[in-house]
Amino acid sequence: MTMWIVVVAAGLATFGIRLSFVALFGRFSVPARVEQALRYVAPAVLAALAVPGFVAPNGSIEPFNLFVPAAVLGGLAAWKTRSVAAAIAVGLPALWLFQWLA
Amino acid sequence: MNRESLKDVREGVRAVLPFLLAVAPFGLVFGVTASAADVAIVPAWASSFIVFAGAAQIAIVDVMDGGGIPLVAFVTAVVINSRMLLYSADFGRYTAPFPWRVRLPAAYLLTDQAYLMMSQRYPDPGDAPRAIPFYFGAGVALWCEWQTTTTLGIFLGSTVPTSWSLEIAVPLTFLALLVVAVHNRPTLIAAIAGGAVAVAAHGLPYGLGLIAGALAGIAVGMLAEERSTAAARSQP
Repeated sequence: MTMWIVVVAAGLATFGIRLSFVALFGRFSVPARVEQALRYVAPAVLAALAVPGFVAPNGSIEPFNLFVPAAVLGGLAAWKTRSVAAAIAVGLPALWLFQWLA
Repeated sequence: MNRESLKDVREGVRAVLPFLLAVAPFGLVFGVTASAADVAIVPAWASSFIVFAGAAQIAIVDVMDGGGIPLVAFVTAVVINSRMLLYSADFGRYTAPFPWRVRLPAAYLLTDQAYLMMSQRYPDPGDAPRAIPFYFGAGVALWCEWQTTTTLGIFLGSTVPTSWSLEIAVPLTFLALLVVAVHNRPTLIAAIAGGAVAVAAHGLPYGLGLIAGALAGIAVGMLAEERSTAAARSQP
């Protein structure tokens, strides 16, 4: 039940964000300060989501686990190609290789 | 709809085809992650059409699976999607001439890919009569693909053994989106601060470390931008 509440609440809020300026006929613009903050939402949130996933794959922080070198290779592939598919296609087999070697 | 508009719709579908290849693994990862996570699977699946925003959907599953409180999952999703305010501000200029029955579904379909493709093809909102059909072609194609790949991922998820370590696909997905979002010095500094604070605050309960990292990254990014513009101004 809690999952339903979270999903419906997040869905309504997301639709509200998407509709905001569409409903205002595009007549108003975002305040400069807010626009400046919004520019850093994507890098800040995505890093806060990604980095703990590699450094603490099992819940506790282990900086020397095999996810970290796999992430470096996957990140390089994504940086070269700008593609999610490439990051997974390189990062996941790299992790398997490291696990097999270890 | 007249014949010209139909042509624009088809053009939107065609323009989005290369992106569909890139979106497919993202949808599969969400489906597989949701089915492996300790969350109710039906609302997780339904989030594909209720929320319809990949990074936010994965984050909700991630936070709820890690024992986070529902409020943190909700706030995280809203923070991730707040970037759409910027799209909406610009997109609203294109939808302004249209009635509500067009504006409501157009807003619902607003995604990074559909908006960015339309605004690149039609930079002038005066072209809205052509831009909006193009946008609907791209948006509906992306929507159909998202529903298909996330559903497929949920069915596949139960057949994938844990020894495959597929859980690394989630941070890899965020990392791939991150390297695209980092395009200058302040965004790089925001990312470093966000990642470092999220790790340092990892011990915080309820997934609050994620919120701490996000807020720290945004604040540090804004500071870095102000410093770099001040430095540029002091140079002759």
